This record gives sequence, structure tokens and C-alpha cells, in this order.
Amino acid sequence: MDWNTDRRGLLKAAGALAGLMTVPNIAWAVEGDTLRVRVDGDLQVLDPWGNLGGIDEMIPRCTTVALIRFGDTREGNPLFNWGAEKYEWTDDKTIAFTLREGLVWNKGFGPVTADDVKYSFERIANSDSPWAYQFEKLDHVEVVDARSGIIHLKEAFRPFEIIALPYYGGHIVCKAAVEAVGGKYTTEIPAECGPFLMESWEQGQKATLVANPDWTGPKPDFSKIEIYIVVDDQAAQLAYEADAFDYTRLAVSASKQVKENLPAGATLLEMASSRYAWLTINIASPQLQDIRVRQAIQYAYDGDAVLLGAYDGLTGRSAGVVLPSTPYAREKNLIDRDVEKAKALLAEAGVSDLTLTLNVQTDSTSQAVAQIIQASMAEAGITIEIAPTEDAAYWVLGDKTQGDGYKTIELVLMSFAGGIEPTENLVWFRPDQIGAWNWSSFDSPEYEELYQKAQIETDTAKRKELCNRMEDLMEQSGGFIFICFEPFVALHDDNLKPVILSDGYLDPVMFKKL
Amino acid sequence: MSTVAEINPRRRTALAALRRDPMGLLGAILVAGFVTMAIFAPLLAPYDPIKIDVAHKFAPADFAHWAGTDQLGRDILSRIIWGARTALGIALTATGLAGVIGLLLGLVAGYGPRWLDGILVLLFDSVSSLPMVMFALAVITVLGPGTSTLLLVIIIISIPGYARLIRAQTLTLQQADFIQAERTIGASPARIILRHLLPNVVGPLVIVLSMDVPVVIMLEAGLSYLNLGVRPPTPSWGNILYDGYTSLRQAPGMVIAAGLPLVLATLGFTFLGEGLRDALDPKLQLRVPK
Repeated sequence: MDWNTDRRGLLKAAGALAGLMTVPNIAWAVEGDTLRVRVDGDLQVLDPWGNLGGIDEMIPRCTTVALIRFGDTREGNPLFNWGAEKYEWTDDKTIAFTLREGLVWNKGFGPVTADDVKYSFERIANSDSPWAYQFEKLDHVEVVDARSGIIHLKEAFRPFEIIALPYYGGHIVCKAAVEAVGGKYTTEIPAECGPFLMESWEQGQKATLVANPDWTGPKPDFSKIEIYIVVDDQAAQLAYEADAFDYTRLAVSASKQVKENLPAGATLLEMASSRYAWLTINIASPQLQDIRVRQAIQYAYDGDAVLLGAYDGLTGRSAGVVLPSTPYAREKNLIDRDVEKAKALLAEAGVSDLTLTLNVQTDSTSQAVAQIIQASMAEAGITIEIAPTEDAAYWVLGDKTQGDGYKTIELVLMSFAGGIEPTENLVWFRPDQIGAWNWSSFDSPEYEELYQKAQIETDTAKRKELCNRMEDLMEQSGGFIFICFEPFVALHDDNLKPVILSDGYLDPVMFKKL
Repeated sequence: MSTVAEINPRRRTALAALRRDPMGLLGAILVAGFVTMAIFAPLLAPYDPIKIDVAHKFAPADFAHWAGTDQLGRDILSRIIWGARTALGIALTATGLAGVIGLLLGLVAGYGPRWLDGILVLLFDSVSSLPMVMFALAVITVLGPGTSTLLLVIIIISIPGYARLIRAQTLTLQQADFIQAERTIGASPARIILRHLLPNVVGPLVIVLSMDVPVVIMLEAGLSYLNLGVRPPTPSWGNILYDGYTSLRQAPGMVIAAGLPLVLATLGFTFLGEGLRDALDPKLQLRVPK
């Protein structure tokens, strides 16, 4: 057979191929039914008892079930039944549930039972789990039959279904399998029942999930999920443009450039996130025990410069940690920038040549924020030494189990993925969190009292008053400078509908092909 | 035709030799340029290198900002000029101090008692066997990043090489007739070391030091790039390079602006070092007559 190639033939073939590629279904078929998403950190603990968020939380979302689950934050965080086919509040303190029929653990552990639900929740409540606070109001889970049970709370607490059930500790584990591995696990899941099974994990590279053949619930649009671990946002952006992923989050600073040069077939997603950033000022630190010194730092802080310089003006100054889109958010900070007042406070405190260390993570946004803070403090005569700190060292800075270092850290730039329930964000600053996540060493009995009241208050106006007062106390202590709720910027393929939760994490199970 | 090598009969000064070596001359000019830049940075830099102006971040290169501005609105050219002071300050201080300490230890090892020589050689070998980058990372982890830590790391890493060079030179010179003669007439060890050994071993050390300066500049830049070296806001070519990398899409010129002086300074010191070696090392002055 003769094989002739000429310019016309080549152009015809190229045109036909290009035409095929413009059809989304064909394009998907070319890539297979694999969803490729990028995350910025590796997995550490997949056990819901002790997972750390991010990919740790994303994988159990695929490999197990929670009774109920959140939908996309852009659609108002709707709650819907997931592992439960029946779920209802029978009164203010009890929730009745019946598990979906056909839920089965792999590896021969049999059907998912109400006893598994009981085990999953009760092992976290009153334990050392970082998520124990979510189950603080849980009294016990009553098993009615194999698939049904009743969750009993100690007192009326409607937010329970928001902070405890849809994610983190709300993911159900297999009692028999977990007990067989000693009651806890890290990177090897002892039994799975969700729409996907974990197929492989290449440390620091990729985790692969494949469809669970025994899954009887709603069929996901993809039969395989590849989660790529790429720490650096810049590298991730390049990789996205080289078609290595279908979805990646971007650095905030990339937003403007991406808008101007949007890659073909991509959609830029910009929205407010629930990740709140603040500057921790450690009250316990020897140099910061005088409140006038802490207030001087608060007055010297240049919030406008930080928002413009580090966040491209995509977000406004926050007045606390409660999500601004909720009815409980505080409207205004108590302290505005006043460099002269900062200098006067330092003089009054008899402090000169104040040099403080600011610990900060190594990503470009954090570095930019830190340098702007450094410059604004310099105007008030405060010298800031920036200490870029790698993740592993950073996240134990305020951990009392690592020694007494938590008492001497001075300034730390922090951000947490928050939730829509105000107490979920306020919980970290309670006195019992000192040495855990309350790195400001903010120790206020009044705050604790207000927190307890806010948990059970059902009147919106009264609840707002409680939450606002708590944020006033935080600011008045001199232990905090509220920076912002970070903007969320991501790139995804046009023919993909991502599902992003209120904390900015993904639900790959719910991603849709368009 | 004679193939017998003979020593160039003309005594050449280092300067004269450099003048005849185009690469060496280029190196000298580049080094002089960077040294001038470092010394006169306050006069040459058009702006305060740490002054943040977020309203003008990522400004393109124009008459006001010849190399544009960075992600915080700082003038890149000013930061590069001040970066020369950081790079040369660290490189010259570190190699200088390491050279002096290496010189003293090498002389002691080479001229001192055998047992002391044994201990020092063991010490040099031990330090030399440490992987340089891993050692640097370990020290920085313990002491925290910063200029003083960086200096300490570079000095510790560099000393053994210099000390071993001086020790070898000293051991060779000890057998020379003029040293033996000094001993015979009862000269003290201090006199022998200071008056006779020191002037004869310094030359090779200077050559090695000048060739190590670019290595140290690169090490400083590399560690600063990794956020393990010079702390912000002090301008360093390494941290400008890192800022450029994180803003590659918004301001691609930053990487070039920071990379260029790094390349030129490295080349300059390397050419100068090689030129000095050619000029000062008698073995390289052997010529085949035409």
C-alpha cells in the first residue's frame, strides 16, 4: 500500500483531529474517566480520629461515608443525606438515622452497621483527638438495629450536624477493622465502604483511588481519581497548563496574570474562602507580657498594605474569625492603624529597641504578608526578624507536647480552614487550647463562658452578640491581629464542575463532567 | 628544535601578567565593578532597597525603575545593587576568615609536633567528609537561618581545604635548605613560621581563596533562595531570585535581573582566580621556546 503525505492531506487530518478534540465527550474519552486534582501537601493521617485536613480529609470523603454531607459552598453549603437514607432530628437533643442499604466494607468486614457509627463517634468524643470538640455535646449513640440508631446529645445543640457529622470525625470507620489494627491507623485504611477505594500512594507524589465495585449509591462521574501532591503553587500552575491536572488551586498573586492569559479550555474560579488569617501575638512570651507592647503592635499593623500587597485587593480586612457571610460576624475591629499611638505605647511601657521573631510558612503569600508586617512595624520602631519555617517545624511551634517552646514564640502568622458555624472557628481560642492551637496563650474565663453559651444559643441576634463579644475579648487581649479571610483562586477544565466545600477542600466524589 | 622547557626569564608581576591575559583582565574588571557596586551601594542605588510600595508592585522596567519593581513594589535595581554588598560581604568575610583560620591551623599542623598534626588532620578529614549541603541544612535548622549562621556554616566548611593546602606546603618547605639553615643557626619556630614559611605559603592560598569566592556567592544565593540564608528584607541575589521564581508569570524579568549579576560575579571571580593562578604559580610559567 502506498502511503502518501502532502500538505493538503496533513491539513485535512489536523483539522479533523482538532474538530474531534473540541467535542468535550471525545476529549474526556481521550483522557479516560480519570479525574486529576492537585493538592498542596501529602497525606499523613487518614484515620478520621486524627486526620489533619487537606488530602487527609479528602481521601476518607471518597473511601468511606458520613451520615450527611455538605454540597458546594457556592451553592450555600446544602446538607444532604449520604451514608444515611433516613436522617432526622426527633427533638432538640436526638437525631434518628438509618444507614443506606447496601453499604458494605471491603476486605470481608461485612455490612456497615449502626454499631460502626456508634464506635466512630464515641471513640472521638472525650478523647485526645483534635476533633473531640466537635463531639463535645455527644452523649452517646444508641443502636436500634443493624442499620438504625439514635444520636443522643447532652443538651440541645443544632450546630452538631454542621460541625461534627458531615466531615472529619463524622466519617464512619469499620469497628472490627480498626480494632484489629489496634484502634487507630495512619496511612493504610483497614476497611473502606465509599464510592472509591484507595489503590496506591506514592509518597510526596500521588494518591490513586479507583471505583469501588461494591458501591451501590449514586454513581460518581469518574471511575478513577488521581490526587497529585504538588507543594508549590507556581509549579502546579505550570503543570496545569501542561495538562497534568484537571483542577488546581493557585496562589492568590497569580489571579491577575491568569485572568489576562487564561489557558485555553480553562475556567478561573475566584471566591471568598472560609480560611481565616491572623497574626498571633503570644501573650506568654517574655517580651510581650506588657499589654501596651502588644497593643503597640496592633496599632502599628498596616492592614491596607497587607491586603493590597499580598492579596491583590481581592479580599477585605477581617474583624474576627467568624465567617463574614454569616449573621454572626463582627463588623469592625476595635483598633485601627495609628503609628504615633504605637510609639507612645512603647514609650509608656519603657520599651526601646524591641526585636521580635515572626514565624511564617514558606509560601509566597505568607512571605509577602510577613515582609509588609515587618515594614509597618519598623515605622513604629519595632524590628521584626522573619523566620521562614517549614511545615513540619511550623505546625508544632505552639505544641506543648514538644516542650516549653510554646511559651516563648513571639509572633506567628497563622491561618486555619474555617467553617460556617461560628463556634467551629472560635473553639481554637479557648483556654484549654493553650499549648495546642491557641498560640496566643489567650486565657480568658469570660471567653470560655461565652463560648459555652454561644454553642447552645438559638436566637440569631443573641448569638451574634456573644460571638462579637468573644472577638472583642480576643482583640482587647492584644494577642491577635485579624488579617482577612483569604481569597480562593483555582483553575479547572471547562468541562468539569468541581465541588468545593466551605473549608476550601474538595469533594472529588461529587465532581461532574459537563 | 629544542623541546626542553625553560622558565620564563622575565619576572612578571601579577598585574602585568593579568594585563596580558584577556580572561583574567575581564575577571578583574568584573570583580572591580562588583566591589565598587558593593562599596558605593548607598550612592548608586536609586531607591531604598527595602522600601515597600504595594501600590506599584510589578511595575515594568521604565525610566523610573530601570529593572522594574518586585511583588512588594521595591525597586529591583536597587535591591540588586545592595545584593552585591550582601553577596560580596558574606563571600569575602567567610573566605577571608576561613582562610586565616585555615592558614594558622595548616601551619601548626605542618610545623608542629606529629601528634598535633595527627589530631588536626583527623579533624580536617572529619569535617571534609560531611556532605556540604546536608551539614549546612543541619546547622541552619539548629541555629535558625540568618547571615551569621550562613557565615558560620561557610567558614566551618571551608577551613579544612585551606588548612590541608597550607599543611602540605609547610611540610614541603620544611625540607628546604633555607629552612634547615635557619634551624641550624637556632632560629625560633615562631621566626621560622612567620618570616619564612608564611610568605611562601600565602600565594597559593590567595589563589584558592579567590577561586572559592564564587562558590561561596553561589552557596549564599542558593541557601537564600531556599529561605535558609539571608533573612528578609535584606536584599540578596538569592532571595531576589526566589521572589522572581514565585512571580515568574507576573514579572519574568526579575529572574533575569537577579540571575545576571550572579552569573557575572561568578565568572568574574573565576576568571580572576584563574588569571592569578597563571600569574603566580611558577609551574604554569614554564614555556616551550619557539
